[in-house]
Amino acid sequence: MVTRRLAVLLLRRAARRWPAELRTALIREWDAELHVLAGHGQRWRMLRFAASLAASRAGAPVVDRAVLHRRLRHTAGVLLLAPPACVTVVLLAAVVMNLAYAVLDVRVAWATAVQLPLWSGLTAGAGALLALAVTRAARRTVRTGQLATALGVVLPIGLTVTVVLAALAGQGESGLPGTVPGLLLWLAVLVPVLWGAGVLARRGRTRLAWFVGVLGALVAADAAVVLAVVSAIPAAPVGPVADGLPADTVDRVSAPLWLLTCWTDSSFGLPRPTAWERFLITDRVLVEPVFYLACTPYAVAYTVAAARPAPAVEPVPEPVPTST
Amino acid sequence: MRLTIPVAKVLSALLADPEAPRYGLDLMKLTGLPSGTLYPVLHRLQAAGWLAADWEDVDPVAAGRPARRYYRLTGEGVRAARLALAELRALAPPGRASRGGAEPTGAPAW
Repeated sequence: MVTRRLAVLLLRRAARRWPAELRTALIREWDAELHVLAGHGQRWRMLRFAASLAASRAGAPVVDRAVLHRRLRHTAGVLLLAPPACVTVVLLAAVVMNLAYAVLDVRVAWATAVQLPLWSGLTAGAGALLALAVTRAARRTVRTGQLATALGVVLPIGLTVTVVLAALAGQGESGLPGTVPGLLLWLAVLVPVLWGAGVLARRGRTRLAWFVGVLGALVAADAAVVLAVVSAIPAAPVGPVADGLPADTVDRVSAPLWLLTCWTDSSFGLPRPTAWERFLITDRVLVEPVFYLACTPYAVAYTVAAARPAPAVEPVPEPVPTST
Repeated sequence: MRLTIPVAKVLSALLADPEAPRYGLDLMKLTGLPSGTLYPVLHRLQAAGWLAADWEDVDPVAAGRPARRYYRLTGEGVRAARLALAELRALAPPGRASRGGAEPTGAPAW
């Protein structure tokens, strides 16, 4: 009885590795064969039968190797090109924002106030368009596990960030080391967020996947901004303050708002952050929040699209009785 | 269909009597393949339309056992399998003729 139970356990484990739509029929079939072996008292054959299935590769859908290689190239292309596209989006949005500012500055008094909202808005719009393109491209990418998908999205972003930072450092740009912890935290938090969104999407809970993905990405970006600000700007004055000037401090009470502050240059009618604190925050983290904004739509969109439930590969044969 | 040695063994076993339905243990015995190799092969052959699967017509209560699943080559499967095995034999070295006329033992994996 123990051998039979062990064999049954192994078969259940083996079945889980096969496509979901085949499992019921396979378990029924293997149980029947197990029953035959048990009836003949062939315990070791029973165990070998089950263990071999549990240890072997599942009968994955037959995929043409040329198609698979094409999909691999396509996946690599999408995932490697999307982050540089986000950098381009951020730069183009900045150019457009500066052109708009040049026009507005001579005509209206509120030109400065709309600089950051304009940059963020343009970036978000272009990021959403990029997400649409990536979603369409994701239909022809390789299906893989959700963790692999999350890493596949995040690692190229990290690579792009590294290349951009290295290029800027090569031009003598100072202050770059201060951006690294925030960026690393953002990428680190983004992985489990995208993983969770992918798991939900694979289960067919697409709306919840989007909710978790977007909310999680916002939390990741907010945490990164908070880390960057907290590590650079003290909460209380650390030295003498010049007369008539506010201290270079930022009260932590408004920390959750800092990401939105960076995007909008606004305190949303709240007492904190003050105008001076907003200046300090956006002086410290200016580009990173906009980059997070550019990347978030495509990262979540790709993760959800790539985790789509697999189409039925093969209908389960009906248990039609044979004439034999 | 990529013709590996396990696939060729299964096709040979089924072609020995194309009308005879074969169940998993039967095919394991005929081919010498372990279950972990055999069932993925059967799945591939089914997906390619070469193999049909049916459930045994038996009353589980009266028989004292569950119905088993039988496999049989389809018409297309018979034609394609004969062609594939013939090509396999043609590619095999002359001094290493297959045993039993159908089994491609010793042939390289494609």
